[in-house]
Amino acid sequence: MIVKTLLAAIVAGLIAGVFMTAAQEMRVVPLILHAEEYEIQAPATQEPAAAGHDQHSSLNGTSPAGALLSALSPVTPAYAHEHEGEHEEGGIMFGLSRFSGTLLANLVTGAGFSLLLAGVSLVIGYPITLANGALWGACGWLAVHLLPAIGLPPELPGFPAAELGERQVWWAATVLLSAAGLYLLALRRELVAKIVGLALIAAPQIYGAPQPLDISSNVPAVLGAEFAVAALATTLAFWLVLGVVSGFINDRFVKVR
Amino acid sequence: MATSTASSISLSLNDRLVAGISALLIGAFLVFGAGLANSAVLHDTAHDTRHSYGFPCH
Repeated sequence: MIVKTLLAAIVAGLIAGVFMTAAQEMRVVPLILHAEEYEIQAPATQEPAAAGHDQHSSLNGTSPAGALLSALSPVTPAYAHEHEGEHEEGGIMFGLSRFSGTLLANLVTGAGFSLLLAGVSLVIGYPITLANGALWGACGWLAVHLLPAIGLPPELPGFPAAELGERQVWWAATVLLSAAGLYLLALRRELVAKIVGLALIAAPQIYGAPQPLDISSNVPAVLGAEFAVAALATTLAFWLVLGVVSGFINDRFVKVR
Repeated sequence: MATSTASSISLSLNDRLVAGISALLIGAFLVFGAGLANSAVLHDTAHDTRHSYGFPCH
């Protein structure tokens, strides 16, 4: 029974992952590719851009020869700073194409979010059904995307950003606090629980997300705005599909009560 | 929920918690691997996904 419950969540996640891949190709991925064109131009054009580049790849430029090489290198900064601080070669797993890599990652992410949603539902004892699936999905989107996006909006390649580790910690903490806050706010009847829930949701925003010192970027702001909205809209669609499909599968095949 | 219908299979509280916690652990592992893990191969494979989902990236 436990296995069946987990399998149901994984299947829902895979379906949502396939849907997400199709949805991304419409708007989000073209915007990423567009932004990468500006990112490639960055170091050659002007001094401020080069300074911005140094800030990113400080570990690459330790020796003058290395700095010269990286200046002459045809490798784009996006690609170069992926290697920052690690000696591991990058590249896409199993020699997949970029699209297949994205599809694979979407399937894994979809299954992951689906299992998390099912896990929360099982632990707090509120089943996901076809009737309430969209609400479950909407809450997932709020906790994982909209609320963290207040501090760290979805970013394009080439956007300035604070140190990665700090942002990841803030992001993960915000997702956890927001999810806990939403639970208290939506599913508990006590007034105190609702107030604590609001406080949990507000806490990471008041604390503040790590921000970059230098916000200059070669990527046009319009692209960034379009991308932020497109990414949030796409993930909202993903979560709604995930919630509804999870509910449908639970109603039809699992019937956990 | 408390309103269980006769046709549905009931999970005991214990089973439900085991299922829920295993789902949370596996799910967190998958999301971490696709979204946050600091590996160049994982990053490059999941690059567009990470940006699209708004995971902190680069």
